[in-house]
Amino acid sequence: MIELMNVTKTYGSTIKAVDNLSLVIPDGEIFGFLGPNGAGKTTTIKLIAGILNADSGSIRVNGKDLREHALEVKKQIGFVPDTPNMFLRLKGIEYLNFMADMYDVSTEDRQERIQSLAARFGMADVLQDRIQSYSHGMRQKIILIGVLVHNPSVWILDEPMTGLDPRSSFLLKEMMREHADSGNTVFFSTHVLDVAEKVCDRVAIINKGQLLFCGSMEEMKDHFKKNASLENMFLELTESESEE
Amino acid sequence: MKVKNKTFLLARTLIKNGEGLGIKGSSTFAKVSVILVFAIMIPMFMAGIAYLVTSLLGVLVQIGQEGIILSWGIAINSAIVFLFGIFYVVSTFYFSSDVEFLLPMPLKPRQILGAKFLVVTIYEYFTTAISFLPVWITYGIYMGCGLLYYIYGLVVFLLMPITPLAAASLIIMVIMRFTNLSKHKDAVKVLGGMVGVFFGVGLNLVIQNVMGSMSQEQIMELVQKGNNSLMILTSGVFPTARWGAEALINYSQLSGLFSFLLYAGFSLLIYFALLWLGQLIYLPGVVGLSETGSRRTKVNKQALEKTTVKGSVVRTYTLVELRLLFRTPIYFINCVSINFLWPVFLVFPLLFQSQQLNQIQQISEMLNRPESQGMVLAGSFALALFMGATNGTTSTSISREGQELFVKKYLPISYRQQLTAKVLSGFVLGLVSILIMVLFAVFIFKLSFWMGLLILAAAWLPVLLTCLTGLLIDLHNPKLDWDSEQKAVKQNVNLLYNMLAAVIPGVLTFVVLAFSPNLLVTFIALTALYGLLCYIMARLLYTKGVKRFIQLEI
Ligand SMILES: Nc1ncnc2c1ncn2[C@@H]1O[C@H](COP(=O)(O)OP(=O)(O)OP(=O)(O)O)[C@@H](O)[C@H]1O
Ligand SMILES: [Mg+2]
Repeated sequence: MIELMNVTKTYGSTIKAVDNLSLVIPDGEIFGFLGPNGAGKTTTIKLIAGILNADSGSIRVNGKDLREHALEVKKQIGFVPDTPNMFLRLKGIEYLNFMADMYDVSTEDRQERIQSLAARFGMADVLQDRIQSYSHGMRQKIILIGVLVHNPSVWILDEPMTGLDPRSSFLLKEMMREHADSGNTVFFSTHVLDVAEKVCDRVAIINKGQLLFCGSMEEMKDHFKKNASLENMFLELTESESEE
Repeated sequence: MKVKNKTFLLARTLIKNGEGLGIKGSSTFAKVSVILVFAIMIPMFMAGIAYLVTSLLGVLVQIGQEGIILSWGIAINSAIVFLFGIFYVVSTFYFSSDVEFLLPMPLKPRQILGAKFLVVTIYEYFTTAISFLPVWITYGIYMGCGLLYYIYGLVVFLLMPITPLAAASLIIMVIMRFTNLSKHKDAVKVLGGMVGVFFGVGLNLVIQNVMGSMSQEQIMELVQKGNNSLMILTSGVFPTARWGAEALINYSQLSGLFSFLLYAGFSLLIYFALLWLGQLIYLPGVVGLSETGSRRTKVNKQALEKTTVKGSVVRTYTLVELRLLFRTPIYFINCVSINFLWPVFLVFPLLFQSQQLNQIQQISEMLNRPESQGMVLAGSFALALFMGATNGTTSTSISREGQELFVKKYLPISYRQQLTAKVLSGFVLGLVSILIMVLFAVFIFKLSFWMGLLILAAAWLPVLLTCLTGLLIDLHNPKLDWDSEQKAVKQNVNLLYNMLAAVIPGVLTFVVLAFSPNLLVTFIALTALYGLLCYIMARLLYTKGVKRFIQLEI
């Protein structure tokens, strides 16, 4: 479960990237976070992951306040950033082992998970190579595996599908469903309506840091018809879909 | 007619894209203090040279050898250009991120090479301006030279870096050309760079040796001849250096003009020869420099199980820091190799000097005198402090994270542990340099084994201290906004700050040294002093430093 209460984040002293945002994402739900470029999606996600400090408001994950129990909260989160270019000079296996150590995963658990995940994502053959030699999608996959290896209860993914091939993308969606169905939380951002439509239980739309809508997909479509300003937003989002 | 020369255009862009002092984007306080430090130190240094030159001239004029000031001035500056050049060329020609952008552009290799050569030349002016201008101008004023002297001098100054830089470029280009074939690019790049550096240092030593091999009588004979005959001694290094000096000394005569034309013509010739050669061997050396070997082999289960055993957080974190330091060429050269090179730099010249055995014996006798034991220990502390402070491992450790810093913020481990691991990674490397220092002392200078052990047991304290101060400084003013790794470690002022910070314990160490107490007192005084300083810095790191890490956002 993720709870945001009146969270505000300003870059510098002018750009309000997240503006008094409140959201509750209960257990067992896949939650889509939608919005055009520069809407504040990544900023919100970084706030939840503990990468940025909010100016005001509070964030709770599984009932624990992020500020007070930072380490405990971080341990329960699996975070996939929007750019997968990190630790390029490490070998895939070294990266996974690093993550497993950071998240305190036992030797048996990590070995079993690394083997099964690498096989599922078709990465078994490249684990001994440097991440530098991976393609964009492969880099995303190694980071995904690095998150899954510590089996977090809350998944936070920043545009996880972009760059993945259809098979991997399908696999990820399937895993997200599984994860949510077993009582956990999945929170991911995208600006592709289509993706949100297929996998999300509920979605939120954000623009210029402010929450415009929060509810199920059906509710959203009803809403769009009634509300003219939201219709533009819808158009923007569907346009970006057609470009993908 | 306005000629738009692509080489010059490119050079200008490259310089604009560069970072200057590397203080762009840091706080006003940081900027002001850096500028202040330079504004005080550089004129002081230049005044020092001018003073030295004046007093030397007073003596030399009497024996008719004043010209040696200029020829040595040019020769030493050429050597400096050559040594710095090796580093500059490796990083600018090959490790710079702009190479990947330039390659797809419709540019001839010699245009890229020419532009990069100009950029490095301009970097070199910053050094040679400090060390050559005072020599040139002081000589001119002292000898009452006319306008032509200054005109010649300016051209000599401007063309001076060309010959030594071309030599440095040639060595590096040849090495890179033939190492680029290999699969393990990173490792080979580092090796290539190191071989280049060693080659450069070695060449310098050999030349020194040749000159040093002249007997005393021969030199005396030359001195007595007068008429600047001693200048022959400097001719060996770079031929252009001698012509430049002769042009300046005989500026009022026709022979001066002749030397001047020879100097200028030869320098330009070398520049174009290098471009021509570069056209042939530069590109094959750079293309594919960023490729990484990959094996695509199935991991067998046993190997996998061996590499994925659970380890402690701090240990794993430290190991990853070290791996990145070793595997990133530019980090390796700046942070790792320097630990091995310092001791070598300090000792090698002694080994190669003509009366080498003599000197080593003298030092060895001095070190082993019972009454100098306290001094030896204090000296080892000073040396350890120096080696620690000149090492940028911790003073760039936050900067090196760059845009990846966010990863360290979502990992579920405390900032305290992360900082500990960062200090450890620098400390482990620093220990290596102490170990080498002690090995040299024991095996070459015949320091007693027990003394060596004592140094090993105590002199890690200054290294730890510099690691702590370095990290504190880098936390305070990290340089995170870079696009190529070299900007994180080169042109990072935090290294300079850390060296400045080391001045304080350095002075205190010399105070202890000045009292030349016996071994026991020195040991107690220094371990207490450094222990206390380390304690204070560690406390600061774990309170203020952690707070600062929390605040850092990118
Ligand atoms: N490091 C930063 N410094 C200053 N402003 C920033 C920074 N990062 C983001 N912003 C600003 O904050 C706002 C929100 O950016 P954010 O990255 O959260 O958008 P986003 O919804 O993730 O967009 P996208 O779909 O392009 O990923 C934008 O106006 C952006 O310009
Ligand atoms: Mg984003």
